[in-house]
Amino acid sequence: MSCSNFKTYRIILLALTGMVLVQGSYVRAQSLLDELGADEPAAHPVYATFKDTRIINVQSNETPGKDVMHFVIAHRFGQINEGAYSLWGLDNASMRMALDYGLTERLSIGVGRSTFQKTFESSLKWKALEQQSDNSIPIGVTLYAVGMARGDSTFAESQVNRTFANRLSYTYQAIITRKWTEKFSLAVVPSFTHRNLVGFSSDAHDQWTLGVGARYKLAARLSLNSEYHFLIDGLPDGAQNSLSIGVDIETGGHVFQLHITNSRGMFERAFLTETNGRWLDGALFFGFNLSRVFDF
Amino acid sequence: MKPTFFALALSLCSICFGQQWMTRNGNVEFFSATFVEDIEAQNEMASGLLAADGRFAFRVPILGFRFEKALMEEHFNENYLESTQFPNGTFEGTIANWDPNFESGTWHDVIASGKLTVHGIEKNREISSKIMRDKDGWKIQSAFVIATADHEIPIPKMVRDKIAEEISVTVDLNLLPR
Repeated sequence: MSCSNFKTYRIILLALTGMVLVQGSYVRAQSLLDELGADEPAAHPVYATFKDTRIINVQSNETPGKDVMHFVIAHRFGQINEGAYSLWGLDNASMRMALDYGLTERLSIGVGRSTFQKTFESSLKWKALEQQSDNSIPIGVTLYAVGMARGDSTFAESQVNRTFANRLSYTYQAIITRKWTEKFSLAVVPSFTHRNLVGFSSDAHDQWTLGVGARYKLAARLSLNSEYHFLIDGLPDGAQNSLSIGVDIETGGHVFQLHITNSRGMFERAFLTETNGRWLDGALFFGFNLSRVFDF
Repeated sequence: MKPTFFALALSLCSICFGQQWMTRNGNVEFFSATFVEDIEAQNEMASGLLAADGRFAFRVPILGFRFEKALMEEHFNENYLESTQFPNGTFEGTIANWDPNFESGTWHDVIASGKLTVHGIEKNREISSKIMRDKDGWKIQSAFVIATADHEIPIPKMVRDKIAEEISVTVDLNLLPR
């Protein structure tokens, strides 16, 4: 090819490039669908970080949603290492029933009652921050506060301590979550628990715990969950850190959660600060939560 | 030189295709009706593009469907349409009996013939629709049925009596000059 010919080529190429730039998508477009342009999908809050309002024992970031009543029946059986005589703990069922109601999309109130120490609960939960699909907010933060009152008549038999105030305890939590992928979500849950009455005078009234919870979806409606709570100031007398492993099975409006845990109690004070089963001894409890939503 | 001129002609051509009409806020609704439960959802984020030669393209973001119940919306996106993986439903094809000189102010029955993609699965469809020219542009209305099995959207036995296997869809677009 001669030099002048090459030059002409270059000029034409340059002109063409210019045209392509001017026309932008018109030339690039292979089809009319492409010409519609890849409009950015609007950012939206990440949904279904966890299947239910609890990971296992601890709260997840999820709230029921506006005008939705969320009903939970939970069972926790006796210690598995009790052996065949008590059918590996199944003879000793303990229950918790709870109702949570979504006042707004992000705020809910709840009440609960457990067999364990005949404890009443009332709670408030608020999705303060929602993770966004475009990562403009990379994490979700949900705040949870619960007051617990034990109602057992055998409580604190020494007369001095039998006041209503001494039956109360409180837990405050920040549930920090991130849905990393469609399958994997992680939660970090610092909690502060105050007990008005403690078992031994040497026990602290205030306990800080740091929890980690995670779920991994094994199938569309099945996930593997686990959580661990670490008592930051060391273990009070006889207490253990709470460790639980379980699965979530979703069937339409229900979620079934089956798990094995070393915590007997199903409310915050009990599983965060008074867990006493040892995994290594097989001092574990089988349990399940069954939740159902009702729309209003 | 010949390829250069060919490219030149081609790029000019895209200008000569002429007028196009478009919308970014088209309306799509769907209904699932069984004897146990009726489910419906609305979406006002559909895009449509009509070219003067009768070619037509349509796209709707699946995450834009709004349901009455929050949990339904979550299940729809997470379990059925897998919206993160397949964010859009699309149609691309031609309006078979299109005539750019359709009389304005009256509805004309047309067939949109092309590829419908939902849940990542492409199907050739001929969709009966209506089109009307008005003073600004074109209105297109369409009602059709999507069989969930055609697009590999599994419906577990447990919820068969709540979710229809054939979903009725309506599309309502108001296309303005681009």
